[in-house]
Amino acid sequence: MITFFLDRFSEAIYALKDNLRRTLLSILGIAVGIAAVMAVGTISKGGNYLIFSELETFGLNSLWVFRDRGDKDPNRRVREGSGIDNEVYQVLSSGCCPAVRRVSAMVHGAPGKRIIVQTSNNYSNARIQGVDVSLTTIANDVITQGRPLRDRDVKSRRAVAILGPTAAKDLFGAASPVGREFRIDNLKFTAIGVLQEKSRDFLASIGSSGGQDANNRILIPYTTFQQMQGHKNIGYLQAEAVTLAQALDAANQIITVLERYNGRHYKYKSDTMATYIKTTQRILDGVAMIGIVAASVSLLVGGMGIMNIMSTSVLERTREIGLRKAVGARRSDIMLQFLLEAVVISTAGGIIGLTLGSVASVVLAEITGFPLTPSFVVIVVALLVSIVVGIVSGFLPARRAARLHPVEALRYE
Amino acid sequence: MVLPILRGISLKVDAGEFVAIMGPSGSGKTTLLNIIGCLDSIDGGSYFLAGERVEQANDDDLARIRSKHIGFVFQLFNLIPRVSALRNVELPMIYSNIKAADRQKKALLALEKVAVDDRANHNPNQLSGGQQQRVAIARALVNDPELLVADEPTGSLDSTTGQEIMELFRRLNQSGTTIVMVTHEEEIAAYAKRIVRLKDGIIASDNGA
Repeated sequence: MITFFLDRFSEAIYALKDNLRRTLLSILGIAVGIAAVMAVGTISKGGNYLIFSELETFGLNSLWVFRDRGDKDPNRRVREGSGIDNEVYQVLSSGCCPAVRRVSAMVHGAPGKRIIVQTSNNYSNARIQGVDVSLTTIANDVITQGRPLRDRDVKSRRAVAILGPTAAKDLFGAASPVGREFRIDNLKFTAIGVLQEKSRDFLASIGSSGGQDANNRILIPYTTFQQMQGHKNIGYLQAEAVTLAQALDAANQIITVLERYNGRHYKYKSDTMATYIKTTQRILDGVAMIGIVAASVSLLVGGMGIMNIMSTSVLERTREIGLRKAVGARRSDIMLQFLLEAVVISTAGGIIGLTLGSVASVVLAEITGFPLTPSFVVIVVALLVSIVVGIVSGFLPARRAARLHPVEALRYE
Repeated sequence: MVLPILRGISLKVDAGEFVAIMGPSGSGKTTLLNIIGCLDSIDGGSYFLAGERVEQANDDDLARIRSKHIGFVFQLFNLIPRVSALRNVELPMIYSNIKAADRQKKALLALEKVAVDDRANHNPNQLSGGQQQRVAIARALVNDPELLVADEPTGSLDSTTGQEIMELFRRLNQSGTTIVMVTHEEEIAAYAKRIVRLKDGIIASDNGA
């Protein structure tokens, strides 16, 4: 068996070496095609990585529930406000909904009202968010210095704050803010922790970062923020679904509870990260598909190149085929011989293409800073594709060779 | 439409014979030789080779029969130009699945038999016509066929070289190989023990019948 393939393989190599220039040109054709397909694949993978690593900064299982401002139903006794208060939040946060892992109240400042954040000699334009202890976990936030919020902070409405990296720098420079004091409006706060920097540069560049700088914010207990503003409203809820697939269920379960309490006056709606992910995925897949189709055209041209030289080769070697048949080659032997030659060309092209593509990926990775290392799957698929291209484009010429009548083939001039 | 080329040929060749087929061009001698060599099949009648009926055999059966029983020598040698004499001689054994090491040994032995083993690593274009035909004969002999089929084996050679090749044929025949050869040269045919003359697809004379 091994002898069999080694023999067939060395026959193919001899034949291809005989027409080295032609062989190299068709190898190049396939190499360009494979490299193009691979480059597109790697670039789209890099894009995926970039976008998903930024989407992850919201928490992939995150969802948001808020009042549907379009609820101006004449039958409803419409009221002002967010439609979410501490009473219903108590129900929601005590494990009401099976698809919800955790939920956080989100309290924001009154629209249009400036909040002054300052130390004795610095100030910050950071956004203040009143949150529950669960938020940092929900939103994939990492505390790099100090500690997270604790239940006691929320219950006792303590004046403690976790600073985003930009806010920390603006207020305290390079020094560690943990334990230091600053003011939000007239209330003295103690910084207890600092958040890790989050990158949403790409999403920001396409206007999809949620319009807010994730690094320039200050998290304080929502209860403290409510007390400062003299109300018991919760602006909206951010929650984490048990799984990505349950995100919509989780949102609907929360809405059901909210409507049970406040349905007479308000309607609610939700956003889920899952929806954004799905949309993003669809867009990325579409872009990748266009790229792959374009790159496949060059692969197709490469395949046609192989078909062309194999046809020429069969014609030129008609007498040789006749001779091989005379000395005992069966149809399948001849078929295999020419198919193997086509596959050797296309696989060699595939390997060179992979190398070119990998080098291109590494260079791109160096320039863009994305981790664009070609994956094992890409390599295997590229090799399989090149083998298939060889078989497909070698098939017709090989079949013609195999079907030649020995007498006529030997007589061919 | 079937155009009859051979009509009513009845020919029996015994093992160990050396037969020359002669006749004017168009008389069907090459067709007859191709049928004897199992390169071509017949539309009617029957053909027994070594006791086996072959007129019904399909392409692959014929390939197997050729591989096992028949060696071919052509006017134009039909060597593969890009590989060495040795590799040319190895070719039939590739299709009968003989191991590479054994192949080389047998190929060298066959080249020795026809006295060109010193040219084993030369490519055909580095060899004279006579040497090329010797390599081709080695190739025909390498699978130890019972029957050697030769179509104008001296047609591309000068007369001295042609006679050398014929001497080789005679020796091969003496050591037991059956030979059927087409030629149009009387002095070449004279090397055969039996001469079959064709005319218009029938046997006009046969000195061995």
